[in-house]
Amino acid sequence: MRRFLFMRLATALPTLLGMSFIAFAIVSLAPGDPVMQELRAMGVVPKPEDILAIRAQYGLDKPFFSRYFDWLIRALQFDFGQSIASGRSVIDEILIHLPATLALALSSLIGAIGFSLALGLAAVSAGRATGAALRGLTILLVSVPSFWLALLLIYVFVFQLGWGRLVGDGSIGDLILPTLTLSLGAGASLGRVVYERVRAEMCEDHIRLAIAKGLAPPVILFRHIVPRVIGPLATTWANTFGALLGGAVIVESIFGWPGLGQLILQAISQRDFPVIQAYLVFMGLGFFITSLLADFIVILSDPQLRREVSNG
Amino acid sequence: MDDIIRKTRYLPVLRLHVSAGRVGLVLGLFLLAEFVALGLAGYVIALPSPNSMDLLARLDGPSADHPLGTDHLGRDVLARVAAAVHISLGAALAAMAAILAIALPWGIIAGLSGGRVDAVMMRLADIIMAFPMLVLALAIIGFMGASLQASILGVAAAWWPSNARMVRALVLAAKERDFVHAARLCGASRGRIVLRHILPQILPPLAVIISLETASVLLALSALSFLGIGAQAPTPEWGAMLNEARPFFAQAPHMLLVPGLAVSLAVLAFNLIGEGLRDILDQREPYQW
Amino acid sequence: MVATLNIQGLNVSTRSGQHLLKNLNFTISPGERVGIVGASGSGKSLTAGALCGLLRPPLHISGGTVTLGEQSLKNMTPRQWRTIRGRRIFQIFQSPGSALNPARRIGPQLTEAAWVAGVNPTATIPAALTSVLLDPSVCTQFPYQLSGGMKQRVLIAMALILRPDILIADEPTTGLDVLTETEVLKALGTMIAETGASLLFISHDLRAVRSVAQRVLVMQQGEIVQDSPADELGHAKHPVARLLAEAADKLGALC
Repeated sequence: MRRFLFMRLATALPTLLGMSFIAFAIVSLAPGDPVMQELRAMGVVPKPEDILAIRAQYGLDKPFFSRYFDWLIRALQFDFGQSIASGRSVIDEILIHLPATLALALSSLIGAIGFSLALGLAAVSAGRATGAALRGLTILLVSVPSFWLALLLIYVFVFQLGWGRLVGDGSIGDLILPTLTLSLGAGASLGRVVYERVRAEMCEDHIRLAIAKGLAPPVILFRHIVPRVIGPLATTWANTFGALLGGAVIVESIFGWPGLGQLILQAISQRDFPVIQAYLVFMGLGFFITSLLADFIVILSDPQLRREVSNG
Repeated sequence: MDDIIRKTRYLPVLRLHVSAGRVGLVLGLFLLAEFVALGLAGYVIALPSPNSMDLLARLDGPSADHPLGTDHLGRDVLARVAAAVHISLGAALAAMAAILAIALPWGIIAGLSGGRVDAVMMRLADIIMAFPMLVLALAIIGFMGASLQASILGVAAAWWPSNARMVRALVLAAKERDFVHAARLCGASRGRIVLRHILPQILPPLAVIISLETASVLLALSALSFLGIGAQAPTPEWGAMLNEARPFFAQAPHMLLVPGLAVSLAVLAFNLIGEGLRDILDQREPYQW
Repeated sequence: MVATLNIQGLNVSTRSGQHLLKNLNFTISPGERVGIVGASGSGKSLTAGALCGLLRPPLHISGGTVTLGEQSLKNMTPRQWRTIRGRRIFQIFQSPGSALNPARRIGPQLTEAAWVAGVNPTATIPAALTSVLLDPSVCTQFPYQLSGGMKQRVLIAMALILRPDILIADEPTTGLDVLTETEVLKALGTMIAETGASLLFISHDLRAVRSVAQRVLVMQQGEIVQDSPADELGHAKHPVARLLAEAADKLGALC
């Protein structure tokens, strides 16, 4: 097993390198000259000597790949430079806002998983009419944009019922509405997957035998279906987490939740490239780790794969 | 025996075979047709220009002059929503076209080649997929500068790898069929195999994928416009309209409801079409426990 | 108490009313061993499915009666079926490779049968496995580690634990080599002898059926065309039955 882990991490290395390269190279998409832009951002009218000096300072006179390696080495030490807008260290800014986003994404994931299991299992065991109604509800929830849902929830809960606050400061109570918004959409989408996977499993021969044995539905569900679907579901959960990291940006902006979403939106409007780069790296890393965890669950839940892995 | 076993219920009243999926498909197509009609409405009915401001009529609710009310600058909401059909749907279709232009050849080549070519192509796709999709689109827009074009490119760049993977999976399943082996043994050229044997097999499930992905792309693009980094003011776009409505929606709820409803229904249309097609293609029914 | 299975005028149709099984009539007395033969698509598996309530929707029983003893098995609710399945009627299927849950070991799957039968797992499982000539250590293994014949014998062991009134075996030896087929048929014989259950043995292979069954039903296109003792099939009235018997004899003479 240890050898397998090592091999898996080793094959992950090229992917991580590729990701870092993308994070670095995307900057070159920026129209115009970053140096000129920074100078303009500082409100300075650039003189030719200034431009050359700043180029040298940022190492912009060096070839592309050596710049990449310099950046990579610094990034590995968690040094992402200074924010163009605030002048503060980028890593500090990120670390201040990261926990809030992680809290939102994780609680939304748990909410979405719970909601999806309820929805998916209800749809599978329901009669024809109820099942169709539940599936219709699912498609509806999946189609409603999260930002609209958030605004509607604010309208109902904050304005009409007076339960929440518009401007939050990061306390737990303020997490409820944002989490609810994200959980409903993600949960409906996950519910679809649960429904499809369980239904596909129910068509299998070994379920037919379980039914022939005279087992009750809950027994069949938990002892026969769950072990088979947990692997594919884990992969979907990891993907959902990635989607939640993205969706968090929207929801944080609407509810004023002090996470990375606010940071990145500011950075985009201010063309604060170091912050955007670091954001990309951190989000990519977080998603990558959850995907890796999901892969492990897939292997652990399939006896044949497990045997191959522990032998190899 | 399988062609007799259908999941549809026969409704003698309509003399049709219906199932939930088929109903959804028809509903989705109907909704889509309505949007096309709405988009063309401006050429048929005399609607006010989406940009003409009537500051005296700011934030008015629905009235005879303005069937869906006016926004904070006195612009007619109905006209803007109709104009936004071109922008929002057009952007989604453009992004989808860009995605397919990359994903289709990528998936087909990778699936058919196998071996090292496949491994390299999929590794490249995996690297891009290692970023959460909306996050990558955000970063791309961040570097390119906010605009509708940037958001289309950002979404296309972030969405194509997952589509390429799906195409490749379809191609892998399609090429294992016996008649494809037979064609290859007969000496059919690569191009002929792709055109006459692979493509016809993958088109039906591909149609499902295209519908569902268009829904996803539409949601993403309107989200980006909502955040202010997609379509810029005064371009009429449903997400952007919702963003503009934010300070006013307590006073003028119609500004909140109309564009949101438009996005939801458009996305719903594509989702219903996709799910309906999938329902028609998948004929297995589970045993009753 | 092992009861008589009585089928009268059984019809199975699709949603549009097309009959896939037409007017089936037969009886299985307690302890009797009956075989069903016929070409592929003649309705053998559908018959088995109808008797267990395992018809794939929208197929349904549209006419006739099915009674086990005094209990009617027609159109019961799932809850009612759960009192019958496993305890009074049990079915083992073709392709044992897919019949057992790949994600769980053999042991827990047999334990479930013990729960249904209301017997102590630790006592009955090893005995059942030994009866079908399997080592009880098989319980710790996963299905993918067993051969096709071993998996089929696990299913027969399951039937031994459940002790149903009627065991339906749907093509249990199809796809197995002759040696394995002999082992499986021997295990089946052991199970019948030990429990006194009735057996409905379905196969398209008449030789296998004749080695187990006392009586044979011949099916063609959803109807029973012949119902006679196994050794009288050669003199049967229906041409199809005669042809089958002759072909089987020829094959038997060749091998």
